[in-house]
Amino acid sequence: MQYMATHRPGGGQPVERRKWSRFRYPDTLISFGVQLGVLVFLGVSLVYMDVRLERLLEFGQRFVALIADRYYPPELSLLSEARYLQAILDTMQMAYLGTLFGLLLAAPLAWFASFNMTPNRRFLYPFGRLAIMGCRAVHEMIWTILLVSILGFGMLAGALALTLFCIGFAGKLMSEEIEAIDKGQVEAIRATGANELQVFAYAVLPQVRVAWTGIAIYTWDVAFRAATVVGFFGAGGMGWYLQRYVQQLESQRVAAVLISIVLLVTVSEVVSAWARARVAQAK
Amino acid sequence: MPILDVQDLTVRYSRTGPEILKGVSLQVDAGDFCAVIGPSGAGKSTLIRCINRLVEPISGRILLYGEDVTTMPTRRLRETRRHIGMIFQEFNLVNRMSVMDNVLSGRLGSVGTMRSLFKLFSREDIERALTLLDRVGLSDHVDKRADQLSGGQRQRVGIARALMQDPKLLLVDEPTSSLDPKIAREVMTLIRDVAREFNVPALVNIHDVQLATEFCNKIIGLQGGVKMFDGPTEKLDRKMLETIYAMEVL
Repeated sequence: MQYMATHRPGGGQPVERRKWSRFRYPDTLISFGVQLGVLVFLGVSLVYMDVRLERLLEFGQRFVALIADRYYPPELSLLSEARYLQAILDTMQMAYLGTLFGLLLAAPLAWFASFNMTPNRRFLYPFGRLAIMGCRAVHEMIWTILLVSILGFGMLAGALALTLFCIGFAGKLMSEEIEAIDKGQVEAIRATGANELQVFAYAVLPQVRVAWTGIAIYTWDVAFRAATVVGFFGAGGMGWYLQRYVQQLESQRVAAVLISIVLLVTVSEVVSAWARARVAQAK
Repeated sequence: MPILDVQDLTVRYSRTGPEILKGVSLQVDAGDFCAVIGPSGAGKSTLIRCINRLVEPISGRILLYGEDVTTMPTRRLRETRRHIGMIFQEFNLVNRMSVMDNVLSGRLGSVGTMRSLFKLFSREDIERALTLLDRVGLSDHVDKRADQLSGGQRQRVGIARALMQDPKLLLVDEPTSSLDPKIAREVMTLIRDVAREFNVPALVNIHDVQLATEFCNKIIGLQGGVKMFDGPTEKLDRKMLETIYAMEVL
């Protein structure tokens, strides 16, 4: 550290002006280096992938032309056909079953997979972590393809794929919630001689219940969105119609299906946001 | 035979970490209301948490009614914890449960797992919980949520929960540090009185020397994990206090 006695406010005692800088040698270099690296990589990617940004300029024009040529007018009468309404109902049921079973399995797995509260650190903790990570690692569409090829076409494969998706999705969020609880309450219940399951029911569950309800609603919302598309790979519901009409080049029906999906997902998102806001107030 | 006999207790939180307790021994007899005093970081909380093994000691023995707690298998340990009531500095009530459920949770060690999951406590347990809530002066707050109560009231719930266990020993960890001086005195009086009524000995962590000498018949002084004083309250003089706190005590 260098000191320079130069500054004398009000002509009083000499005050030593100390050296201080926000920018320190290795930290600043690393920070700028990383930023430079990100920019260089962006440039390289754009060149390597031959991205022609000028095409984006024509995007709006082409988009309108495409819609007008092929998809307009959407065949909205499809939406009032009994079989399509049935498909919508199927999709909702698939999402419901997948979410319900997914959450029922995710809750104990989240308990096992929480580092602070796991009933057994040597076996159940890695088991819970692996189960949740395994479900997360594979995308729900891949699960569907896999399960359809094992179980055959239909809702069973779809519901199971969504179950696995929900375990991965909700399990991680739920176990993170457990890891953030107040340890004192756990200690107090444990001190009464309660066993691990009782500690979970009396000290953990009351603390995470509200957060878990919010996670459950969110999971339902996301699972419903996924359910509209898993049918594309043979799991029934609206997605199946989407795939059929795409392959038959019935673009106006595709447009109708897409509109119905967007509408339903929007509605479910609004309802979910409202419900989660209500739950958050409950504390 | 003393009810609690701690012999040469040593604790470390990690294998290479510092020793928090360095060979502490103490005894608690029937009818004792025993204070553990000492500055922050002396190991008071660690000592008290070792006795029901919320903290695992490295070495030493803890004999409760002649049985060694440190070597107990899990199941036996739970049965033992059932007989040790504990009162905490931060109350440690389950905030989102009702006062009644907090008190009833004192019975968890004695109720079957399935019954407790559905909160099916017996009529006697409910009767007992209501009586205890009456005793600590909270009969008007039975159905309130724990986090709706004031600090003093919460500690009273904590006391009722500990008594719900029908304990043979009370472990009390800084019961008054989160309370104002007036409420602290009230709570301390209540703990001493119920300990007498239920005929249960108590080991009380407390850094307030004034309260310790006033309420307790026996005092143990800790400093830096070492026992500096052990004897009846009358024997504790100012010189000893200055040693324990390593400063002049007014």
